[in-house]
Amino acid sequence: MKNNRTSSGSKKKSSRKSSRNGRRPWFWRLFLRVAVIGLVLLAGWMVYLDAVITDRFEGRRFEVPSRVFARPLELYDGAGISSGALERELELAGFRKGDGNKPGSYRRNGGHFLISTRGFRFPDGDEPRRRLSLNIYGDRIQDFSVRAGDPAAIVRLEPAQIGGIYPAHKEDRILVQLDQVPALLPATLMAVEDRNFYDHVGIAPLSIARAMLANIRAGEVVQGGSTLTQQLVKNFFLTRKQTLVRKGNEALMSILLELHYDKGDILETYLNEVYLGQAGTRSINGFGLASQFYFGESLRDLGVHQIALLVGMVKGPSYYNPRRHPERATARRNLVISEMEEAGLIEPVRAAQARGRPLGVSERPSYSENRYPAYIDLVRRHLARDYREEDLRSEGLRIFTTLNPAIQYAAEFAVSNTLPRLASGETRKALEAALVVTAKDSGEVLALVGGRDPQFAGFNRALDASRPIGSLVKPFVYLSALSRPDRYTLITPLQDKSFVLEFDDGQRWQPKNYDEKERGEIPLHTALSHSYNLPTVRLGLDVGVDVVRETLQAFGVTSPISPYPSMLLGAVSMNPVTVAQMYQGLATSGFNTPLRTIREVTDAGGEPLSRYSLEVDQVADPAAVHLVQYAMQETMREGTGKSAYYTVPDELALAGKTGTTDDGRDSWFAGFSGDLLAVAWVGRDDNGPTSLTGASGALPVWSRFMAQIPQHGFSPVMPDGVNYHWVDSERQALTDEYCDNARLVPFIAGSEPTREVSCSGALQRRIQGWFEGLFR
Amino acid sequence: MKYRVIGLAGTFSALLILSGCASSPGGIYVPIGGERRAPAPPPPSTSTEPTGSDEAPVWRKSEIPDEPEPSPEAGESASPSYRDSGESLSPAALSLVREAESYLRQGNTSAAIAHLERAQRIAPRSAEVYFKLSEAYVASDRLGAAEQFTLKGLSVAGSDTHLQRSGWRLLADIRRARGNIAGADQAEARASAL
Repeated sequence: MKNNRTSSGSKKKSSRKSSRNGRRPWFWRLFLRVAVIGLVLLAGWMVYLDAVITDRFEGRRFEVPSRVFARPLELYDGAGISSGALERELELAGFRKGDGNKPGSYRRNGGHFLISTRGFRFPDGDEPRRRLSLNIYGDRIQDFSVRAGDPAAIVRLEPAQIGGIYPAHKEDRILVQLDQVPALLPATLMAVEDRNFYDHVGIAPLSIARAMLANIRAGEVVQGGSTLTQQLVKNFFLTRKQTLVRKGNEALMSILLELHYDKGDILETYLNEVYLGQAGTRSINGFGLASQFYFGESLRDLGVHQIALLVGMVKGPSYYNPRRHPERATARRNLVISEMEEAGLIEPVRAAQARGRPLGVSERPSYSENRYPAYIDLVRRHLARDYREEDLRSEGLRIFTTLNPAIQYAAEFAVSNTLPRLASGETRKALEAALVVTAKDSGEVLALVGGRDPQFAGFNRALDASRPIGSLVKPFVYLSALSRPDRYTLITPLQDKSFVLEFDDGQRWQPKNYDEKERGEIPLHTALSHSYNLPTVRLGLDVGVDVVRETLQAFGVTSPISPYPSMLLGAVSMNPVTVAQMYQGLATSGFNTPLRTIREVTDAGGEPLSRYSLEVDQVADPAAVHLVQYAMQETMREGTGKSAYYTVPDELALAGKTGTTDDGRDSWFAGFSGDLLAVAWVGRDDNGPTSLTGASGALPVWSRFMAQIPQHGFSPVMPDGVNYHWVDSERQALTDEYCDNARLVPFIAGSEPTREVSCSGALQRRIQGWFEGLFR
Repeated sequence: MKYRVIGLAGTFSALLILSGCASSPGGIYVPIGGERRAPAPPPPSTSTEPTGSDEAPVWRKSEIPDEPEPSPEAGESASPSYRDSGESLSPAALSLVREAESYLRQGNTSAAIAHLERAQRIAPRSAEVYFKLSEAYVASDRLGAAEQFTLKGLSVAGSDTHLQRSGWRLLADIRRARGNIAGADQAEARASAL
């Protein structure tokens, strides 16, 4: 207390004293105090700014989106691909028509291709640069040879990028390191934007003074004297608004940045940060991505004229956009080339050459986002099992998927081309579809269509439309039966007669055939290939609903399956992808093969993070499955699927099954060739009725797809323990090949009929009758 | 036990060299209409609704019979197809298998598996590739997967007794290593019966 009083007393005293002694000392004291306070505040502010800078620079500097790649195209002798499809693949992968000698270019002369690859780092090893030569004849690659580079019998093209998983701010970039960048790029950047970059301390007072003078004269901000460091600070930490306070902050932070970090570090960050364009909502940042975006080429392959254009665009990426304003862009580029020449970076001859060249910009960006929304949706769901969303958005992961662009294109075309022809009026507008295509033996999902408009990133019917599968369930009923060769063979007679089931609660169920006819006794294979309901339900009840349910579960169905007999006619709901999973086991002779959309995930540097390997799991006897495959082939040749051959040529052997639910609410088709498995669904989102069946709705979509793809027909290897016999299936007896009703049918060894019938007797009778007629 | 399984690898390598060279690619379906069967995809930024009027509608709705209508020409069309044996390896697939073998020798099983999966994609009906995959899984001590790939290989080995016998022996060894003695004996019996 005492002290306080004393001090306040002395203060008063001194103030009186100073006022008595005139204004000057008082003024200086105040000034000193304000200055001290100002300095303290400034010091505090700088500590704060310093923390802002180091925090950002020490941590992860950039949120880099994850990149999603299509499967790479494998080129080798015998590979099935058409010339047109190869050209499309090359363009998708960012190749340009040219001499075929420059990396990333190709030359086509009819069916002859010369391709120079850029090389690519795959998770399982590097694919070096090569020059390739090949011919395409009959949709197959022939005379494949490596003209330059490591010899190889099989070569992968670099994969096309099909999408990205972006940070919330939608900035896209490909990070580059200073030592990977051609030296001419930073040198040009400095010549144009900041000549004294290596000498200044973050700001260049002379430049600022010059700029200020110009600004004062003009009465507004017309010139910036910013160093590269200042530009980086502005983009990195501050708003784009030009105010004095911001300018001050910018200068302070630039000095602090230079104090903490070396010039190389700052330059590298600048190269990755700078804004160079816009693609929809996505911004193109950094020279690494800009090079891809404008030229479809890697930074290391750029020519002088291209480097000059990119550096010139720093000043105003949309004003100098070379795709939209080629003249402005050319003028700006040529100005930069002159600066390069003046700074001694290039010889006058090279400068003149560069000025004479066209802009060299690719027609369109090498890929656009959301090209395959339904497929990427499935990829993201698979990724969500192992990765956090925030990591996918920021860690620059590289995701190698199984998408086959040619097959995806054919699938989209089949849907959009066929759907409008299926119905008329209101139904036509309301019709929707989904199509899933997988590689039969690897379970890789090659294509996915989620609706009639494949570009629409909305309701994904391939994944989210869970519908009753109708007769698609039948092969599993028959498989359950045929797994007991002591009781059933393909020629076992079944009753096609109506019956009534009465339940304990008094409810009655009376199934009917689709055509409401009854045929009496028919062989088992005919009942499946013609999709008759009555014999199927009888067979299912005989085998046991529980047994059928177990078969379905073994084939990968995880959704609840009704224990009621109506399940035998498909009263169980699934989405098209699940149906594809279930049919995979049928197509591969009883081996479940989990569906995959991702082969590998690596970090930004290419180090593998996860691999999703091929898995197989035998869930059924290959011999029994072979018998079901027989009936499913018969479906295509003689049964409910035969209209496929109006679209598909006869020589392509196929197997499949139609499915229809009440009032045509769902039209399904699931089937396979030697290489591909495809599941098509057609119906309405409101679950309303249509006039379609599986054969008139989904099958046309399915066959339209199959007809477009070069592929092997379905011809399964006869498993151990199966024998083929000529039989008369109506009479359940062995017969001779030349007999009228003879049919070559597979049997599990030991289950073949022992009785023989010959048609020779019948022939004798026919001849006899002919003679009788002659002499009558 | 495991030693014996790995020891078997040598016999497979020899077998692959023998059968790999004698390959010829099987028949492939070539779509009609060549380049004109589907219009080229439009630029990514524009709509992808194909508007190709050159696309001849092969199919008309009136031609589609009702689903359960039996075919009048039943029996006249091609009958269901099957084959006695799987496919032999193309030179391209064989080169991948060779690379995988060299990775296996270096003890790099994951690289070996990656190469074999590439081979499997281009030769999905070749028993040799599946047996090699089985071998790679034995080397990485995943015997469950090894057994499944052996079974898969056997399912496409067809009437090739040489492949069948090798497959059943491999299966017997893997089952024995997994402690399934009865299953091993069964597989051994299958091999001997060939």
